[in-house]
Amino acid sequence: MKKYTIIGPILLILIWAVAAQLQLIDKFFLPDPFTVIGKLVELLGSGAIIGDLFSTLGRVVLSFIIAIAIGLPLGLWLGRSEKIYRSVEFIIDFFRSTPATALFPLFLLIFGITDKSKIAVAAFASMLIIIFNTAYGVMHAKKSRVLAAQIMGATKAQIFRWILFWESLPQTFIGLRSAVSLSLVIIVVTEMFIGTTSGLGRKIIDSQITYEIPTMYAIILLTGIVGYLLNLLFLTVEKRFLHWSGK
Amino acid sequence: MKIAISAQNLKKSFNHTEVFRDFSIGVEQEKITAIFGPNGSGKSTLLNILSGIVAKDGGEFNIENFNHFEFSYIFQNYRESLLPWRTNFENIALPLEIQNKSRQEIQQRVEELQKLFDFKFNWESYPYELSGGQQQILAFMRALVTNPKVLFIDEPFSALDYENNLRLREYLQKYYLAFKPTILLITHNIEEAVHLADKIVVFSKKPTKVLEVIDNPQPYPRTVQSLKAEQFHQVKDEVLSIFQKAINL
Repeated sequence: MKKYTIIGPILLILIWAVAAQLQLIDKFFLPDPFTVIGKLVELLGSGAIIGDLFSTLGRVVLSFIIAIAIGLPLGLWLGRSEKIYRSVEFIIDFFRSTPATALFPLFLLIFGITDKSKIAVAAFASMLIIIFNTAYGVMHAKKSRVLAAQIMGATKAQIFRWILFWESLPQTFIGLRSAVSLSLVIIVVTEMFIGTTSGLGRKIIDSQITYEIPTMYAIILLTGIVGYLLNLLFLTVEKRFLHWSGK
Repeated sequence: MKIAISAQNLKKSFNHTEVFRDFSIGVEQEKITAIFGPNGSGKSTLLNILSGIVAKDGGEFNIENFNHFEFSYIFQNYRESLLPWRTNFENIALPLEIQNKSRQEIQQRVEELQKLFDFKFNWESYPYELSGGQQQILAFMRALVTNPKVLFIDEPFSALDYENNLRLREYLQKYYLAFKPTILLITHNIEEAVHLADKIVVFSKKPTKVLEVIDNPQPYPRTVQSLKAEQFHQVKDEVLSIFQKAINL
């Protein structure tokens, strides 16, 4: 990490502190950052929020694994033929454009008021993003490389395994990164609705209802940190394994 | 003389522009044949039709005993046909992997070829870490590692500086003398064509015809010294005269 990347977080805290100090917003609704950070440290230190953190993370990871397990092979398969992809493109684009949270009541009907419906709706939305990006990665593979392999007498399976799969990886990773972020968003939002007593979303809404404002901010901050770290994780993996991307 | 590659009455148009109308050619076995001709005279198109990448509109063509495993084609945009996720070694190994050769066999073939090329690569690094010239040599080695009986080469040296250009010509001749493949070579450079080829085929403007086939009887291996020989200049002048007629200059 470069030294200057630290400027961003400092700037954010600074603006927040100044806004709180000048009381631009009622102090009750916007506590200063140090109170919030203190609260977060306290919540983590006492372990009060750890259970919720893991329950949210567990749901995100599970939905993401389901999304990969279905979306990745499907995307690779659909991308092999532009004709096939184009013929189902509408379905993918339509549901991709529909806010996933709008589908949540439907998923509640299907899966009941349990964790299943939250995980299913997050998995569904993430899966579409993974399908879309993976298929595009395969379809937009450099023709010259495929052609070279064809001339060498490669079979379709070999071309897929040695060329198309690799060609699709950079775009696939973009998909995975977007999908994990979306998964977190959906899980946190659905936790606010119904059917659970644990999770960061649940705790945010609970502390809002009971006017535990610093706690609410602290957990919001925590979800932000979780999202950022997930993104960072993927970027690191990407840099390590896709060193050749764009070369 | 045995004809290894032939085309009769070939037809091909792109968007109503006729490139080939009753085009015929014969390429002798175990010879280096260079195609030299004006821009847009369908040199690459011919190679693409012969190798089955581009469909013909009519006519016939044939490559004797054609087999993908004994055929190589070095593209003009070699940089885009190397695989950046594979190391340099794995890039050369690709055509042999396609043929399901064992690791040991691959290792052996690459070593043989490297001796011939007398070129040191860092096998564990990646193509994007190489210079343009080195990438081209890598693409060459990848094409030759399978011991092809027929080799197509499209503008192989255009991205190289003169020194590397001469070096690669030397390697190609070494390979040719060792394995005697049939080589069909496209070039825009008259010196390259005459330096390397037994036969220089001069194309007309489109619709393309073979204007003349000129022999270069200079013995192989042709060195830099051969470029200074009387005979070289005679052949080159002859090719130039035909080309001059082709482009009306």
